[in-house]
Amino acid sequence: MMSEFDVSLYSDIEPLPIETGLDNELCQIMYTDEYKQVIGIARRLISNGEFSERALDLTSCVIDLSPAFYTIWNYRFNIVTALMAVSGDIEAFLNKELDWLDEVTLNNPKNYQIWSYRQALLEVHPNASLKRELPVLEMMIDEDTKNYHVWSYRKWCVQKFNDFTNEFQFADSLIEKDIYNNSAWTHRMFVLKNLTSNKNEDNWNEQLKKETIDFEIEYAKQKITLCPQNVSSWNYLRGILDKYFDEDYTINGIDEFAIQYIDNIFEKNESELTETNSTNLPQLKSSYALQFVADGYSRIPDKKNMAIKAYKSLSIKYDPIRRGLWNHMISKLSA
Amino acid sequence: MVETKKHVKFLQRHLLLLPPKAQSQDPNKLGIVYYAIAGLALLDESALSAYTKNKDWIYKHYKEFDPPSNSKRIAGFIGSQLLSLDGQVTINLSNTLFALIILNIIDDCDGRSKNINYEHIRNFVSQCQVPNGQFVSSLDSFTGLPSRVDSTDLRYCYIAVAILYFTGCRTRANFDKHIHVESLLAFVKSQECMNGGYGEYLEAHAGYTSCALSLLKLLGCEAELTESFRWHTITWLLDRQVSNTGCMSLQEDNQNYEQDDHGGFQGRENKFADTCYVFWCLNSLKILSPDNWKSLCEINIAKEFLMDKTQDKLLGGFSKTDVDDPDIYHTYLGLASLGLLDGSLNGELCIPTKYQPR
Repeated sequence: MMSEFDVSLYSDIEPLPIETGLDNELCQIMYTDEYKQVIGIARRLISNGEFSERALDLTSCVIDLSPAFYTIWNYRFNIVTALMAVSGDIEAFLNKELDWLDEVTLNNPKNYQIWSYRQALLEVHPNASLKRELPVLEMMIDEDTKNYHVWSYRKWCVQKFNDFTNEFQFADSLIEKDIYNNSAWTHRMFVLKNLTSNKNEDNWNEQLKKETIDFEIEYAKQKITLCPQNVSSWNYLRGILDKYFDEDYTINGIDEFAIQYIDNIFEKNESELTETNSTNLPQLKSSYALQFVADGYSRIPDKKNMAIKAYKSLSIKYDPIRRGLWNHMISKLSA
Repeated sequence: MVETKKHVKFLQRHLLLLPPKAQSQDPNKLGIVYYAIAGLALLDESALSAYTKNKDWIYKHYKEFDPPSNSKRIAGFIGSQLLSLDGQVTINLSNTLFALIILNIIDDCDGRSKNINYEHIRNFVSQCQVPNGQFVSSLDSFTGLPSRVDSTDLRYCYIAVAILYFTGCRTRANFDKHIHVESLLAFVKSQECMNGGYGEYLEAHAGYTSCALSLLKLLGCEAELTESFRWHTITWLLDRQVSNTGCMSLQEDNQNYEQDDHGGFQGRENKFADTCYVFWCLNSLKILSPDNWKSLCEINIAKEFLMDKTQDKLLGGFSKTDVDDPDIYHTYLGLASLGLLDGSLNGELCIPTKYQPR
């Protein structure tokens, strides 16, 4: 792939082969000749504690063959810190290492060792920047829009550089592409939470904070309107109300917004809300709306009966797989 | 029906000669042994006796070191002979836990083997903790200090606590002797997500959730959870059961929704159901609600998902989803889910109850 293995560079190195054919060995792997050769040399170089250019090249070959080999990543980092100290230009040296890592990353999207290695490089880099990280992150998220490690790394970066400028827009672009992308939604929540936290008090006065939160509520409502049966957008809305409004699901008539999705369920009497009658109940566009109203009303004493009706309808028709949960909620409210 | 015979064969095959593509799993080979041996223990006791003789080979992975940076001797397991390098500290937490579980099953030593030193293993765990309470899984092989390139997250926190449990810690005071429990708990708390569940930077994930709750259970610290978060998490976990009934079927345009996933569990919102998340979700629910977790969710439909969708009735084994080939990891977690349901598996240690440490 990226590193041509040139055995002549290591002609003075006596390989240290992996011991095989042990008594009662389990899971013996049929190693390829290439693996045996590369690994044999690498094991010797680690044992010798050699921190050199050729050792750096070799770790690249080993990582191609065995990306989960944690000792090699650790060895490579030791080589890098040793070589950069004598390179005369630490920044250029580490940029070259990041270029190499970009390529490994694009070829091994599922490997999580990559991201902690990247973090370690950025921690020693004298002039690290978010801008340098964004292209590879965009490519990775483009390829796998819900890759947990990539999103985590992005959030680690924006927090490290305390630069949230692009993040609402970035989350929005991913939500535009796939409204069900939960990683994009939770990224948005992460951004909102950070921007409105006390740490940002200097730039964020109360007015701006309020406007932003109001805007985000409208944003969530708008996305729910487009796609009412989407757990991610409802969770986003709930997250905001839980955090900023003390779990009040009725502020600014937001319960009315949810109620438009649940027809006139509250007008049904108890005899209508039964399993046998469930086919006569209307089709609804969103069980999450019903759950939202139920949870909100369950906290308001004089709306408890409405909450019970909502849970009951979830149980018998709109989300029956969770009837254990709904029935539990009903018995809690009835107690 | 569980295809016991086929699964036994599937697991046994994984303990034989493996093809070259298994090279990428070489550093964590004891993981394969763990899944296969523990799976056999769940399926067929009689198949285990053939492997008692392999314990000496397992012990060959045990290594002790006197790292220059630490006055205490440390010990643990490497995942394969690939990592056997004189003078280099190459043990890691995951393979140490895998080995302890395997030995609890195949070495009839009452959990106390004369071949390994539990005190030194606990010293290793202690050495892996970093100042913010988390754990790395391996040390810098040259200095024995926590590796600077290793990830630290809830998985390794869980594994660290599980190893301490296996090596004898049972009370908070015991654990405190080896690790800083308070900072670990503070880290775990920092991973709580707003709608329930645990994850990095607010995206809850069923795997991390199971790690967090299992470690709290092992530490005896479940009471640390607030009632509100506990309930949010129960609801979040129940919501991970994928369904094609009621309004749930109204997601045709969701690229990660499949009607056939009905009854299975997903790891995050709007993802496909997956065998391993049946385990991570059910284990979490059991810890949070030990008395009525089985009535809160639809366990029979979850079982049907495993039996009819991800169990490979021809080759044996379980796959991740109904379109993948079976693999050893999902096979063990499929069997572990069934074991959790019939009571034959200890979920927080992920070991058959018969072999759990006393």
